[in-house]
Amino acid sequence: MLTLEGVHVNFGGVQALKSASFAVAEGESIGLVGPNGAGKTTLFNVISGVVRPSGGRLDFRGQSLLKLPEWKRARLGIGRSFQIPRPLGHCTVRENLIVAQRFGARTNDPQRIDEILDILNLRDKADSDAATELALTEHKALEVGKALATNPSLLLLDEVLAGLETTSKRAFMERLGAVRDRYKLAMVIIEHDIPTIAALCPRVLVLNFGQIIADGAPDAVFRDPEVIRSYTGETTL
Amino acid sequence: MKHAILGAALLAAYVGVPLLFGGTPYVMGLIVAALTIAGVALAWALLGNLGGMVSFGHAAFFGVGSYTSAVLSMKLGVPVFAALLLGGLGAAVASVAMLPALRLRGPYFALAILAYAHIFQILATEMTPITGGAGGLLSIPRFPTLFGLEFGGKTGGYVIILTIILLSAFVYDAVRRSAWGLALKAMHDTEIATRVIGVPSTHLKAAMLALSAFITGVVGAFNAHFISFLEPDYAFSSTWTVLPIAAAIFGGYRTVWGPVVGALAIYLLDQLVFKPILPHGHQMVLGVLLCAMILLSPGGLLPVLLRRRRSEGGRHAHA
Amino acid sequence: MIELTLQALFSGLLAGGYYATVAVGLALVFGAMRVINLAHGELVLLAAYIAYAAESRYGINPVMAIPIALVVVASASAIVYALLSRIEQDREINSLILTFGIGIIMTNGILTIWAADIHSTTNPWFQDSLVIADTLFAMNAEVAFFVGGLALMAGVYWWLNHSWQGRAVRALTSNRNAAMLMGVNPRQTEILSFMIAALLATFAGVAIYTGKTVFPSLGHVLTVKAFIITVLAGMGSIHGVLIGAIMIGVIESLTVTYLSASLQELAGMLLFLVVLFVSPSGLFGGRRALAR
Repeated sequence: MLTLEGVHVNFGGVQALKSASFAVAEGESIGLVGPNGAGKTTLFNVISGVVRPSGGRLDFRGQSLLKLPEWKRARLGIGRSFQIPRPLGHCTVRENLIVAQRFGARTNDPQRIDEILDILNLRDKADSDAATELALTEHKALEVGKALATNPSLLLLDEVLAGLETTSKRAFMERLGAVRDRYKLAMVIIEHDIPTIAALCPRVLVLNFGQIIADGAPDAVFRDPEVIRSYTGETTL
Repeated sequence: MKHAILGAALLAAYVGVPLLFGGTPYVMGLIVAALTIAGVALAWALLGNLGGMVSFGHAAFFGVGSYTSAVLSMKLGVPVFAALLLGGLGAAVASVAMLPALRLRGPYFALAILAYAHIFQILATEMTPITGGAGGLLSIPRFPTLFGLEFGGKTGGYVIILTIILLSAFVYDAVRRSAWGLALKAMHDTEIATRVIGVPSTHLKAAMLALSAFITGVVGAFNAHFISFLEPDYAFSSTWTVLPIAAAIFGGYRTVWGPVVGALAIYLLDQLVFKPILPHGHQMVLGVLLCAMILLSPGGLLPVLLRRRRSEGGRHAHA
Repeated sequence: MIELTLQALFSGLLAGGYYATVAVGLALVFGAMRVINLAHGELVLLAAYIAYAAESRYGINPVMAIPIALVVVASASAIVYALLSRIEQDREINSLILTFGIGIIMTNGILTIWAADIHSTTNPWFQDSLVIADTLFAMNAEVAFFVGGLALMAGVYWWLNHSWQGRAVRALTSNRNAAMLMGVNPRQTEILSFMIAALLATFAGVAIYTGKTVFPSLGHVLTVKAFIITVLAGMGSIHGVLIGAIMIGVIESLTVTYLSASLQELAGMLLFLVVLFVSPSGLFGGRRALAR
């Protein structure tokens, strides 16, 4: 469904991504890990259109994304959440979803909005001000909700669990699993919590210094000496 | 209850005012002028609130609208009312020339629009065969008599501009309440977040610019046919930028009716009180009002008055 | 033909000097406070009118009037600064409107006190012509103030790069928070930049009074021109401002010579728009003009 080939991104003198190449199949769940500054968010920015790559190919269902602005990619089916939640200000939670649905999915389907609110446990806060009246978990949930409301086929989740404590994390994880099963989406999830990722995703990509250094099942990947070294500097744990 | 108040207000505006002041052309003329300013103020506030752009060159749209309408009716015989709409359209087309300015940040955009205003003014002065050059256009067709109602006089003009404002306010409010309005509001804080969920932010901003330009253009066109005279320095005068801004800020630029109320207040005050006292520098008081408003109550006067009536609770009008 | 062009270029160069003196003041304040002082042109105008009052009332030579004008303009600048610092929310837009309002007050104040007539110095020396290399004409005032202006700007440039306070201004300009964390007192630095801008404005005002003509709406015209030049040059670059100012001066001069006087403003405006769209960061500056 999504193919990257030789994508590289230069910011001034820094190479944030070096020749990234991989593919995501329909309905696949992939975890994306790597130390801070490895280029994970940059990768998401490239796919969603926030950043233009300096070179390489980026195709979605046979169509090149390179010339398309972010909003067209959203309408094609790429949903993205931000690491630091960016709720739509001066709007309620429900209105956030309505805007996403009207513009991203180009439909008006209140039932689906209610469904999303339920799955993400946001029903109670549907009419609260999205910018000022939500707790952190709810902010994170809204980020996922906005992306979901656009009827995506590919969901890019950027550190959706960061900052949550363990019980909330587990609950959120279950909700993500439910989302995936319900809507049959492909997901790429950036996370630091390795057990969580291993549980949710049958495939993991490891990024370090802008390069993909591993790509495979969690068991294999996390025993790879290269991967261990990228995190700890040692070759074995 | 609300409908009754609305009905009464409309009655007062359409019937009451003409009955009261129809006999004194001077007062009627003042009211029409004040409403002309109000129209531009409303359009300016729309651009600021919905589009998130502050413009210092609305005189450009006013002038382009005036000239387009005047020229079309004089040279091509287009009926006056149709010319009004075409004047608005002309201004909207002019705003397309300003599209590259949309990606500029606040002050840069404001002043880029100002540059456009100067350019259009100079063009109007130079394109003499079409626009009559520096001498301007005289004897622009006035409003005709329709259905037995004489629209060419002061009271007729009043009814027209009143209708223009009501329609504009209606459209403004409709956009504000729609999903478009929600998206536009959200775009101020975080444009990227809206783009990523499918909002074509640049197109929306361009649409708001065109709408603001259209309204201003129609008002400018109205003015041209009302006073039947046009000249570049007048049509593109900075007064059409300054007074509406002062009016909108004074009346409360975050509300739909604030600019209208502000325009009535400011213009009538300016003409009836300040001008007699300071025949040359009376606009100075506008400057003082502007500064006072920014420093003391950036939201303007209307929100302060409204807040005293309504009790605060839950979600209130966008601060 | 060549002579005509050379003369146009020369006049444009001199005019550019005036514009630069005005524009640098605007750029300085913008750098230190991130605020565009839309009343800056009116400050220049104020200085010009003080020089006029001094000369017409007391027969004081305009150059001698500079210190008096400086006191007045500096006080006015201090008031503008005081008002600006009271703005809390939406700083960028509100300060724009505030200084816009102050500009209106000042222009109309000048209109009330001195009426709308045009004025220029009555002292003959300033308007006497000077011939350079047998072919180029200029007024004494133009050349004198051009040289003076350059000297002043060189002084400001040196000050920005070699004095502690100047460096503080540059630090604030490039990264406000970091500068504050390193001990730069923003208030002091802001006031200082306002005062230096006042100095430049005073000089420019007297220069315009002696070399050209003054009238109340000039304030607005100058502010717009100064802003155009700063955008052209790119914020944060003094030599850029000088070059940009000269470009505008030369283009205007060439337009007047070869096309028509009424198109003078048009040329500058078009150049402004072209640069704004092609290279929003200006010809020399960093990327600050674009929306997020």
